[in-house]
Amino acid sequence: MSDFLEIKDVTVTFKVGSTIAARLKGDPPPILTAVDGISFEADRGESIGIVGESGCGKSTLAKAITGLVPVASGSIHLDGVDLAGKRDRATMRRIQMVFQDPSSSLNPSLTVEKMLSELLRVHEIVPREKIPDRCAELLELVELPPSLLTALPRRLSGGQRQRIGIARALALEPEVLIADEAVAALDVSVQAPVLNLLNSLRENLGLTLMFISHDLAVVRYVSDRVVVMYLGRAVEDRPTAELFDNPRHPYTKALMAAAPKFGVKKKPGESALKGEPPSALDLPSGCRFRPRCPLAAEICEQTEPDLTGPSEIERAACHFAWDEAPA
Amino acid sequence: MSGNLLEVTDLRVTFDVHGRQVTPVDGVSLTLERGVALGIAGESGSGKSLSLKSIIGLLPPNATVGGELRFALDREAPIPYAPADVHGHGISIIFQEPMTALNPTMRVGDLIAEGPKLHKGMGKKEAEERAIELMRLVGIPTPERRARMWPHQLSGGLRQRVMIATALSVEPQLLLCDEPTTALDVSIQDQILGLLQELRTRLNMAIIFVSHDLAVLGEICDRLAIMYAGRIVETGPVDEVFADPQHPYTEALMTSVPSFGATTDKLIGIEGRPPDPRDFPPGCRFAPRCDYAQEDCTSADHHLADVAPGRTTACIHPELIEGLGQ
Repeated sequence: MSDFLEIKDVTVTFKVGSTIAARLKGDPPPILTAVDGISFEADRGESIGIVGESGCGKSTLAKAITGLVPVASGSIHLDGVDLAGKRDRATMRRIQMVFQDPSSSLNPSLTVEKMLSELLRVHEIVPREKIPDRCAELLELVELPPSLLTALPRRLSGGQRQRIGIARALALEPEVLIADEAVAALDVSVQAPVLNLLNSLRENLGLTLMFISHDLAVVRYVSDRVVVMYLGRAVEDRPTAELFDNPRHPYTKALMAAAPKFGVKKKPGESALKGEPPSALDLPSGCRFRPRCPLAAEICEQTEPDLTGPSEIERAACHFAWDEAPA
Repeated sequence: MSGNLLEVTDLRVTFDVHGRQVTPVDGVSLTLERGVALGIAGESGSGKSLSLKSIIGLLPPNATVGGELRFALDREAPIPYAPADVHGHGISIIFQEPMTALNPTMRVGDLIAEGPKLHKGMGKKEAEERAIELMRLVGIPTPERRARMWPHQLSGGLRQRVMIATALSVEPQLLLCDEPTTALDVSIQDQILGLLQELRTRLNMAIIFVSHDLAVLGEICDRLAIMYAGRIVETGPVDEVFADPQHPYTEALMTSVPSFGATTDKLIGIEGRPPDPRDFPPGCRFAPRCDYAQEDCTSADHHLADVAPGRTTACIHPELIEGLGQ
């Protein structure tokens, strides 16, 4: 397979707290499956959006790909190299992550220059004497003035901090950049420039971008393809335009209907999706979206639908997703 | 009964920061008719939450409030009031984070019953029944069972419903909403907005809804006020403001968010960042970031001028705004 980043059946589980009574009885701790058999591929330079609500496993998936949490089963290949087990420094460099909250993910006691030069030194990216120049270049890359090199994070605005977060990830010259809710904490007027920056970095540096967000509109803006997740599973994986024009999975449809839109008045008592997602510790039988699904039928209770479709790049996990001919 | 329910004139909130006077809310005036939903949009630091909290007297003790607040309650015309007096008497508030806003040491049912006991003089038994009734009203399933639960046992959406029930327990005529859906998932946000819309029509309650999200405000509000750097810069009916913004900041806000309905080629965003309340620029406070700024903008006095029936703008050059071309 020529695919650059290949995620295959990745499953991540956590042992969660059990009660004292259960421990005394010797019951094993309950296992929470945060990511449950996710597979997708990404080409070099492609941008994949991952959308889902809290608890759907999107951040855990990002951490698994970055190597921040262990994978219980399945495999992650980058450019043909299996990333299983402990990664060495050179491998870790290749996949970097930008976090949601730039104020808590930057070391408050390091200046921007110290933060960046430490990375460049430890990972031996450039010869020592070139480190100051490289720091300045990195700032230029994220469109910040070089005067900020001496600044501490607390002196920076939210947008500037997030740019430093991006510069820090780029310092290691990664091939894959994972942005986990990278603009969710920013004010609306500063979100747009950061999104534009991510888009231009992808074009100019040929980065593969994985953009994780709960916000469909933002994902649409930056992604070539979108994977919609629900309770650890991918429910739809399709090119952005097709997905937004003609969503196939009832959950995707409901998410779109729920998103607030300009100029559309809410009708009293109206909501696109009834109820709340079930606990990942206590999943329903068959399709996990079934209890909230308007289409739920008998088959949904018995069989969990596979993620399939007319082609490799058009897939949805619903028994009824492809019933009508694609428009 | 029609007419104005609330009138806010020249509201000013000042803090004393190490001997310096900082005024994050600087001359806000609003009128709200009975049963109307007003949205206040703005970014962090624009003073929208502080304005809201001054209406119900929930500012920190080191804040000084200037200007006049008038509230009608059951009377024909609004009369001046002390914000502390309206707690439980006509005005209620709900907050963004239901986990920190609900007392974690009280069972949900007791939390909701507290208002009726305190302000409506109900007995314990009666108040408990009222709590369950209210929980049913806000769409909490199996209210009898849930009333015995603690806030931490509920999901975010249910907690927000509990907070709404608490607010409604004193039968307010005005519900203040401080970003009540920002911390929620979209599908839950959608449910809460639907619920607020339903309660509003059913109880004929006026709402002031503060949010940074224009699309959310558009779904629930009749009128919109846009705040920037402690001042209101534009007001008008929601649809008209969206269709034809009369202030460059409103326009810029709208082009900063990816629109859900259409593929956008490039988002524009706004250069720079909102000013620090300790150091507001002179004249029009948006001028340093404004694409249309003229020389006289930096010396202009702040004044909301009528541009059309029911619409005002603080921009002195609204004719320059090109519009969104939609």
